[in-house]
Amino acid sequence: MAYQAKPPEGWLRTNLKYTKDRGSVAWVLHRITGLGLTAYIYVHIYALTSLTQGPQAFDNEMKLFQTPVFHVLEWLLFSLVVYHSLNGVRIVIVDWANGAAYHKKLLAVVYGLGVVLFIGMGILMFREPIANMFASLR
Amino acid sequence: MYKHTGSRGSGAPGWVLQRITGILLFVVVLTHFFVMHANPASGHTYAAVLARMHDPFWKMFDLTFITVGLWHGLNGTWGVFRDYKMKPAVSLTIYGVIILSGIAFWVLGVNTILSF
Repeated sequence: MAYQAKPPEGWLRTNLKYTKDRGSVAWVLHRITGLGLTAYIYVHIYALTSLTQGPQAFDNEMKLFQTPVFHVLEWLLFSLVVYHSLNGVRIVIVDWANGAAYHKKLLAVVYGLGVVLFIGMGILMFREPIANMFASLR
Repeated sequence: MYKHTGSRGSGAPGWVLQRITGILLFVVVLTHFFVMHANPASGHTYAAVLARMHDPFWKMFDLTFITVGLWHGLNGTWGVFRDYKMKPAVSLTIYGVIILSGIAFWVLGVNTILSF
């Protein structure tokens, strides 16, 4: 059997053809966020191995992670988490609960609830800096 | 070889397990994020983490997370690669990297948790 490493019209064009509909956009986003989260779990597991090197090594590392830049990155990480989680539930409903009949309504819920949870998480994570920002008004 | 690199076999067990682990991770990941990432007050010092590590509940929680999370992530990654027509050697290499790195990082994570 002859293998073709690349489709005749090119890899990129084939991939761009997928994105025609809201459902396909959701599918592509699910893959990208999934690959991102998988990469993150590797980094996460590696970073926490410093626990075995004693208190000093671990606390030094945590000092870096508990900085504003990393908190913003953590918040952005949550956007991957929340999208992949909510769309994952949508996929299970589509596959196991006749969700194909109403998957676009579910998608609207995914995006709507996702944005609300993302902003809510931002307020939760940055409640102290936000409070400090408006402290002079009190 | 083809069985493992995608041209034979329905992939159905992986598909079902991807959904089951996904539902489990929905609970585990969101709990983990709210407790650990969203809430600096939950304690990120060595002492605070060690106290949690000695709690059997959080120990089991983290072991479950590492095992199920890695499996779900790597099964998903393999699912992405499976969608592309690849030469058997390329396919087998990617599959090997996924399996071996998965095992390596699982051992690394479990070792960290069980050190305490």
